Amino acid sequence: MQNLARAGMILLSGIVSGPVMAQQVNLAAPPAKTKQYIVYAAEEQNLAAGKKSVVELRFHVVDGFHVNSHTPKSELLIPTNLKLDPAAGVKAAAVEYPAGEAYSFSFEPNEKLDVYTGAFTVKVPVVAEAGSHTINGVLHYQACDKAACYPPKSLPVQMVVTAK
Amino acid sequence: MLAETLFVFSVTGAPCFPSKLKRQSRRLAELGSAHGNGRKEVQGVMRRALVLGVMVVGVALLLWAGWHNLRERKLAMQKARENQVVLLPEKQGQAGSEEGDDLAPKMRGKKAPAFVLTSLDGKKVSLADYKGRPVLVNFWATWCGPCKVEMPWFEQFRKQYAAQGFEILGLTDDADAGKDAITKVAQKSGVTYPILLTDGKVQTAYGGLDVLPMSFYVDRNGVIVEQTAGLGPKDQIEANIKKTIASGGVSQAGGQ
Repeated sequence: MQNLARAGMILLSGIVSGPVMAQQVNLAAPPAKTKQYIVYAAEEQNLAAGKKSVVELRFHVVDGFHVNSHTPKSELLIPTNLKLDPAAGVKAAAVEYPAGEAYSFSFEPNEKLDVYTGAFTVKVPVVAEAGSHTINGVLHYQACDKAACYPPKSLPVQMVVTAK
Repeated sequence: MLAETLFVFSVTGAPCFPSKLKRQSRRLAELGSAHGNGRKEVQGVMRRALVLGVMVVGVALLLWAGWHNLRERKLAMQKARENQVVLLPEKQGQAGSEEGDDLAPKMRGKKAPAFVLTSLDGKKVSLADYKGRPVLVNFWATWCGPCKVEMPWFEQFRKQYAAQGFEILGLTDDADAGKDAITKVAQKSGVTYPILLTDGKVQTAYGGLDVLPMSFYVDRNGVIVEQTAGLGPKDQIEANIKKTIASGGVSQAGGQ
C-alpha cells in the first residue's frame, strides 16, 4: 500500500512539476563576434632539441556546452579541428585528438553524439630545432548547449616551444 | 500490475500469520506423537509446512513485486522528466552570466527586414510575397540538432493553421553544407514549406545569428511579434503562432 502511495506521489509530483519546468525564454543572440565556447590555456613547452617530442594543447569547453569531437558520428556535424601554421624550426606531424564521449540531447535520447565537454587535450608530435619557436594555429569547432547550437567558431591558438 | 494482483492475494491470506502457523504445526506434531497416530499427523504437519512455505514465497514475491513496481515507476518518471524540453531556463542559469544583457529579444516589435532569397527548387522568394499573411521566419542549419527537432512540428502547425494564411519560411544558415545536404535534411524532417538559401546579409539584417534555431514570428503587417532562440516546448511554438495570427488587426474568417 505504501509502495503504491509513494508511486502515486511520484507520479503526481511529475505531473505538477511538468508545466512549471516547461517555460521558454525568448532571447536574442548577441552580435559579439568574439564570443567563444572553448578556452585555450597557453603553456610554454620545453622540449629536447632535435628529438621527437609531443606538444600538448589544453582546451576547456565552457560549462554547459559541448562541441563535436574530431570524429563526430554524422557527416553533417562539424568536427573540432586544429590547424597549425608552419613554423620555422619546428616539424609537426599529424595532430592527435582525444576520443570523444557519448552525448545525447534530452529531446533525442536515441541519437548518440560524440563530443568533448570540459577539459580536453590535443597533442602534436614535433621535432624542434634548438631555440624558441612560436607556433600559431586555429581551432575550429561548433558548440551546442542543451537546447541550442552556435555557429562554427575559430579560436586562435599560439604556443611557445623552447627546445634545448 | 503484478504487484496489485499479489496485493489482493496477500490481503486474503493475511489472517494466516506464518508465526502462528508455525506454532500450530508444532502443537499438532506434539499432539500427533502423544496419541500415537504418527503417519496421519506427520502428513498433516507436512501439508501445513507446505502451505506455510507457499505463503512465505507469496509474501516474498509480493515484496519484490512492490519494490520492482516502484523502481520501474521511478525510472519511468525520471525518463519522462529527462525527455521534457526544458532547456532554455536551465541554460539561462548556466550560461546566463556570459550572455548577460543579450537575453532581450531585440527584434521584437520591429518591422521584419525584407529579403529576396533563392529556394531549394531555384525560385526567388521574397518576404514581401507574403504580405498580409502571418509568417514564421525560422533560421536553421544542417548541423543543428535542436533545429531538426522542431521542423516537423512547424510542418504540422503549417497545415493546422493554413486556413488562417499562416506560412513558414525556413532559412538555412549553412555556410558549407551543399544544396544536396540541405535538401536531404529538409526531406528527412518531412518539411514541405519553402527552404531558402541565405546570402549572409539576411542573418545580419535579423540581428546576427549567434544562436540556432532562431525564429521570428511576423504578423500580417510585417511586424515581428515574437522572437525566440533555441528549441522551446511545442506548445510554446503553437502559442506564438496563434499570437502572430491574431496580431495585425485584420480579422479573417476562421481566425483565432
